[in-house]
Amino acid sequence: MRKPLIYPFVAIVGQEEMKLALILNVINPSIGGVLIRGEKGTAKSTAVRALAEILPEIEVVKGCPFQLHPEEVGEVCEGCDRNECKNKVLDGSCVETERRRIQVVELPVGSTEDRVVGTIDIERALREGQKRIEPGLLASAHRGILYVDEVNLLDDHVVDVLLDSAAMGVNIIEREGISFSHPARFVLVGTMNPEEGELRPQLLDRFGLCVTVEGVKSIDDRVKVMERRATFDENPEEFCRKWEDETEKLVEKIKQAVGLYPRVSVDRELLYYIASRCVDVGVDGHRGDITVLKTAKTIAAFEERTKVTNGDVDKAVRMALPHRLRRQPFQDIAMNVSNI
Amino acid sequence: MNASVLYPFCAVVGQEDLKLALILNVINPAIGGVLIRGEKGTAKSTAVRALAGLLPSVKVFEGCSYNCDPEGRAWLCWHCLKGLGKLKVVERPVPFVNLPLNVTEDRLAGSIDFSMALKTGEKHFRPGLLARAHRGILYVDEVNLLDDHIVDLILSASASSWNVVEREGISFAHPSKFILIGTMNPEEGELRPQFLDRFGLCVDMKALEDLDYRVLLMERRSAYEASPAEFAKRFKKEELKLVARILKSRELIKQGVRVSTEIRRLISSLTAAAGTAGHRADLVIEQTAKALAAFDGRLEVEVGDVKKAAAYALPHRKRSYESSEGSSKADSSDRRDSSGRKDSRDSGHKQGSGRSIHSEAQRRTADKSPSSGERDGDAESGRKAAHRSIEKESGDKIFEIGAVFKVRRLTFRRDRIFRRGSGRRIRTRTVQRRGRYVKSSTLRGTRDIALDASLRAAAPHQRHRIIPEGMAVVIKPEDLREKVREKLVGSLLIFLVDASGSMGARGRMVATKGAVMSLLLDAYQRRDKVAVISFRKDGAVINLPPTTSVVLAAKLLKNMPVGGRTPLSAGLAKAQLLLQGYLAKEPTIRPILFLVTDGRCNVSLWGKPPVDEAVELIRRMANDKRVRFVVIDTEAPGIVSFGMARKLASAAGAQYFKVEHLRSDDLIKIVRESVQ
Repeated sequence: MRKPLIYPFVAIVGQEEMKLALILNVINPSIGGVLIRGEKGTAKSTAVRALAEILPEIEVVKGCPFQLHPEEVGEVCEGCDRNECKNKVLDGSCVETERRRIQVVELPVGSTEDRVVGTIDIERALREGQKRIEPGLLASAHRGILYVDEVNLLDDHVVDVLLDSAAMGVNIIEREGISFSHPARFVLVGTMNPEEGELRPQLLDRFGLCVTVEGVKSIDDRVKVMERRATFDENPEEFCRKWEDETEKLVEKIKQAVGLYPRVSVDRELLYYIASRCVDVGVDGHRGDITVLKTAKTIAAFEERTKVTNGDVDKAVRMALPHRLRRQPFQDIAMNVSNI
Repeated sequence: MNASVLYPFCAVVGQEDLKLALILNVINPAIGGVLIRGEKGTAKSTAVRALAGLLPSVKVFEGCSYNCDPEGRAWLCWHCLKGLGKLKVVERPVPFVNLPLNVTEDRLAGSIDFSMALKTGEKHFRPGLLARAHRGILYVDEVNLLDDHIVDLILSASASSWNVVEREGISFAHPSKFILIGTMNPEEGELRPQFLDRFGLCVDMKALEDLDYRVLLMERRSAYEASPAEFAKRFKKEELKLVARILKSRELIKQGVRVSTEIRRLISSLTAAAGTAGHRADLVIEQTAKALAAFDGRLEVEVGDVKKAAAYALPHRKRSYESSEGSSKADSSDRRDSSGRKDSRDSGHKQGSGRSIHSEAQRRTADKSPSSGERDGDAESGRKAAHRSIEKESGDKIFEIGAVFKVRRLTFRRDRIFRRGSGRRIRTRTVQRRGRYVKSSTLRGTRDIALDASLRAAAPHQRHRIIPEGMAVVIKPEDLREKVREKLVGSLLIFLVDASGSMGARGRMVATKGAVMSLLLDAYQRRDKVAVISFRKDGAVINLPPTTSVVLAAKLLKNMPVGGRTPLSAGLAKAQLLLQGYLAKEPTIRPILFLVTDGRCNVSLWGKPPVDEAVELIRRMANDKRVRFVVIDTEAPGIVSFGMARKLASAAGAQYFKVEHLRSDDLIKIVRESVQ
């Protein structure tokens, strides 16, 4: 069976801020993810799923359920039941590796804790005296993107677990006195429809950026949306081929930006500008400052500059601060930070 | 995992209070831990993790999994006892245990070592996290979100320095002495006073306002991320200096830092003035002052040390009844009131020595001054004053509690429904792998295998089975047993009481208090949690955060002053904050909100017409189907009736009662229906 084709990222009409936020996270995962808030049918999920096509490649151990980098092997492998590479690792010989694209792993709303964290198969352990790990979604999401659709509807204790591992970069599976841990560093991308309930502030703060999407307003663009979608549905292959060049260009641009990012510099003055913006709008803590800085640097890299400008900071502030402002209960998340 | 380089302790910008509190605990573990309360993103976790990297190592016997102390021979584990004299003593980094939120009881306290049981047929204890944390640090991030039975385990271990396990056929005890460091974000829910008291010191963290600091912070952070190793090198010298100073201070503590009688007297006068419960505060202050002196290289405690120590040890210990507002002041929900923000921040900065020492004096002056002109931050202390000397204030009256009607005992049958969740009202089976393991049953498909029961079930059949090599026991699928876990699923009753002037008319408040009191008593018997929020004048106050103590609630109710205008929406907003926090902690609890009011609100929160605002707010609150609403209308019967409370009730889809119709029978009905 062939994988169904995904609507190309570059063919999405409008929603520039959302697209930019996603791209920035691809370039610099340390920004800490995106929360996309918006009504139904605003290409939220389409954009995240399409992201898979423009992600850069990474080196992984072939077939590894924990997406380990060849240098990460060792401790984790002891609990793994893939004997082919486990034995090699324990012998100290080389493991086979492969290069593949970063994955987008989707966490469905109804997910149980077991499914997310992974479990230890106690039944089998009792019968065979062996510890056997069944990796969960967090294992698959290591070094990739964890996409949580309707993140506001997720079970609270699943959210807690998610937060825990997002903060520590490690996932710990524990049962009956057996514990097993594996690295789980991922970019958290969540989408939500605010009409169905808000997120806890704690979880909100964990998302690096927050963008609000609205339906496209201009008639021309709406027509364009319909046209493109119709062409895609008619003949997805041809549609994707048509956009291939554009996709290729974006992939190349992202690659450039990744290389450029370490060389991006910021003037001290701009740092003061960032700090004062954060104090002015009243954000909790310092995560806001740091995220604005990183985002601004990434924007500069994406635009092929090595110097951050005022404009970059303003753009970054718009994405990094709205969900970090202090609010009264039921007050909506600010749509536009500059209004405050 | 890559050898990750920790962010250096000395590189944490600002937050001197926190850093000092952590260092003091390392110097003198007798202080008993730190609770860090603060906003999101204020380097709480970073600092604690960095501390672990800074600490000097401990000596243990090689291969010991209980971190037994080779010098103190009071208790040694089986491994060390057997190897005594033969085992090498090795150095180990100070144990640092990070408690995950989803930790289970067995993992924390330890349980049967099942691979040992299977392979040798012997019963062995497998140590849990409490053993691993012995002589080290137990770090609990988001301590307020932990399950209650887990908190109980930690509490009893930290109180006695022993972990005693009596479960699943094991009876075992081992020492577990650790520095408890917890972080919490008050927005997410409160912590039980008992647990609060267990933390020696408490630090409130706030974001730095100073631009220079913020810039420095950003610079350091990006330098660290660019090259952690190089960044760490930059601070190496400073770190080594700090470690040397800590070690020297420890020596001084061992030599004995003197505390004079005068100093002791000062300490007890401070704790008495703050009205702390129990004597732990005195001891903690003394130990902290000793550590401070030692850190300064002195062998004699000075007045300054005590003042500094008190600022750390007192904020979370003020007697909860009198300071329920004080603790809610630290609660950032109050900090959220945007106009009051500046005030609380300023006082937060001065939170050093001055605040707690002069707080008594401040209170006294506040007692004398009428609180009419006070606003926001100042109003806090004004209200506090109002509690103490209510009679003096003009316009405020206190009414007696009206006739308390007896509530017939309600019994809730223990059902067989497997619920997810926890709480206090109904005992229920739970499908989550949390909760107390009460018995075992044959397989039902939860895959929550009960090891002890499975072994027991398999035991009689062993002699007929062929035992494979390397195993001592054969377990077949039909032997497997599952755990049946029980939890309490309960309710939180929140009383949102209108204490405005209009409630005082014609003795309405007397009847109201009677009604609330009756409900409280019933709640006590049910062991429900109750919370009381009152609103009057310019704002709402959480008089009583969720608690099971009906004594406090009764006292509070008795002294609740009445007077002023009716900021109903502020009250609702406060209730919502409390609800959100509580529901975040206990997601399946079904709280009941009793709104006791005549509905005549006249102060708005966001500038809309007060009534519309309140109706809108309660309507949106009612969208959360987990919360039940009961509106108790206290409007006096008469020709002029506004019927506002009824309007509110219909907006919320709430049950509606007039206070005079609230008989015991009705009451039982409300509670019963609300729960089911």
